[in-house]
Amino acid sequence: MKQWKIYTPDGVQDFLFKDCYQKKNIEDKVRKLFRNWGYMEIETPTIEFYDTFSSNNELIPQEEMFKFYDQQGRILVLRPDLTIPVARVAATHDKDNTLPMKYFYVGNCYKYREMGGGKQKEYTQAGVELLGDSSVEADAEVIATAIYAAKAAGIEKFQIDIGQVEFFKGIVEEAGFDEFEAEKLRLSIDKKDYLGVEEIVKAKGVNSDLKNLILELPALFGSSEVLEKAERVVLNERSQDAIKYLKKLLGILEEYQLSQYVSIDLGMVHSISYYTGIIFRGVTYDIGFPFISGGRYDKLVAKYGRDCPATGFSMGINLVLAALQRQKVELAEPKIDTLVFCEEGARELGFKLSNVLRDMEVIVQLDFSNKSIEAAVSYSKNKNIGGTIRLFKDGRIELHETATGDVKNTTIKELAGDFV
Amino acid sequence: MRYINIALSKGRLADYAVSLFSKSGIDCSEINEKSRKLIFTDEVNNIKFFLVKPSDVPTYVEYGAADIGIVGRDTLLEEGRNLYEVLNLDFGACRMVVAGPKELEGKLDSITNKRVATKYPNVAREYFEHTKRESIEIIKLNGSVELAPLVGLSEVIVDIVESGRTLKDNGLVVLETIADISARMVVNRVSMKMENKRIGALIEGIRKQIEKDSDEK
Repeated sequence: MKQWKIYTPDGVQDFLFKDCYQKKNIEDKVRKLFRNWGYMEIETPTIEFYDTFSSNNELIPQEEMFKFYDQQGRILVLRPDLTIPVARVAATHDKDNTLPMKYFYVGNCYKYREMGGGKQKEYTQAGVELLGDSSVEADAEVIATAIYAAKAAGIEKFQIDIGQVEFFKGIVEEAGFDEFEAEKLRLSIDKKDYLGVEEIVKAKGVNSDLKNLILELPALFGSSEVLEKAERVVLNERSQDAIKYLKKLLGILEEYQLSQYVSIDLGMVHSISYYTGIIFRGVTYDIGFPFISGGRYDKLVAKYGRDCPATGFSMGINLVLAALQRQKVELAEPKIDTLVFCEEGARELGFKLSNVLRDMEVIVQLDFSNKSIEAAVSYSKNKNIGGTIRLFKDGRIELHETATGDVKNTTIKELAGDFV
Repeated sequence: MRYINIALSKGRLADYAVSLFSKSGIDCSEINEKSRKLIFTDEVNNIKFFLVKPSDVPTYVEYGAADIGIVGRDTLLEEGRNLYEVLNLDFGACRMVVAGPKELEGKLDSITNKRVATKYPNVAREYFEHTKRESIEIIKLNGSVELAPLVGLSEVIVDIVESGRTLKDNGLVVLETIADISARMVVNRVSMKMENKRIGALIEGIRKQIEKDSDEK
């Protein structure tokens, strides 16, 4: 039974000093940005009912969730996602709140999934949900927030890829595909599997204009020219509206002056059961997975009892950290500025001095373990602490600079003024 | 400029892929030298090649360790990775089939408790459980799958068939076809977007080369 006691389970990890510091810094920066954009933070439980995430339409595949039971035998899960809890809150506790309402969260999620490339079974998500606004401006704001969040987190080179599931749904409707055929087509288009798309279209026998468009769908990604290209083909109204919507969206993002970060992919048709309008993903160098994922999901909140449009995104903090570290972006590291070593009888003075220095934003560690100043200085060297203060009970101070080894004599008065 | 990493499936397919890349103007001379190096580089076009076990190619590409992979569709079906499958290389054409003794022809559905021997457990499970909607017992083998029905290890097999010669020699027949198989070029989803121009040009170069080769035939 005891053989596993020194290990952690697969897919979870300890974050030590540097990694932890950098991860929390990213979370803090993103949190600050969300607050500045008028989003309100909520914290939902780590444990929820299985039903919340699976309710009749299998929002999250059941094999991906960590499950256990409560005392009454009901199935519980570790939350696999944070959008769904927000939808639940918005439709229940917060149902009388005036719309639009802007929520944000930063928290850990849990999924059984294959690991690697920055993916873990326990992972931190930060994201926003903008509820009660069905306008294209709301979608643009969410995308703008995502772009600013990526920048705030320190990612410089990235791209937000935008698609619109309505475009695909319109084509499916026009071609008369049934649910099964549509799903097959969706999978092939999503994989950019030209051959698979061709097989399906040929078997169905759709008219040649539409056929050519479907065949081109996997290639319809890149700059806004893609939209012009798609527009030239005579389309059904639903698909046309989708293109118009995307054009409007790009126009607004141009007003935000964020055009350089966005691109279009009309063949992006992953999880269409969840999203109802635009979908987008953020990608950057050195991680093989998107670090931002979002879109419009107007039908989700209604599942919990309140019919209200919604749009949002989430950012994988672990993936962001992995990307920054692999891209060799310089990140701040945790550091102690000063070690205070108190000589006989100087302890009370040492407490006071340390607090004054801390008020001056100096990071101070008090030293009680080292038996001599030599030991304290060598400890500072080992820990990369900026300097060591040797404090005597009469207020004299010996300042040992770690990097140079220089020693300066001063007094507590000189260092901390009249505060002590 | 960043390197574009290309993972090749060791074996015949790698040789073919190298010939395609060479003909489309990429320097693959390092690969043809006899050495134990694992990574080969074209410094002019900033491309790195590495040779890996075929079943590992989709893994390298999904995680982004390789931007592009060359691999058989049988492996892609079995590994089920989240990738872009952008090009059919028209090479190594064969079929993924359900095969068994001749007596079972037309009677496959009548066996209620099927034991299926295969090197492709995921493909077999996906086909029987999702397409045919029935539960089966999978027996995972690593080679000579044709033997299984002959010695009573399984009723049927799921395997790839090229000419059908091995099946015939062992008194087996194709009962159902699951999918057509050939070699594919796959691309990591993020790389496709971040390096759209360069990867697009590579795909186009190979596509043209394949067309040219088939015209010459």
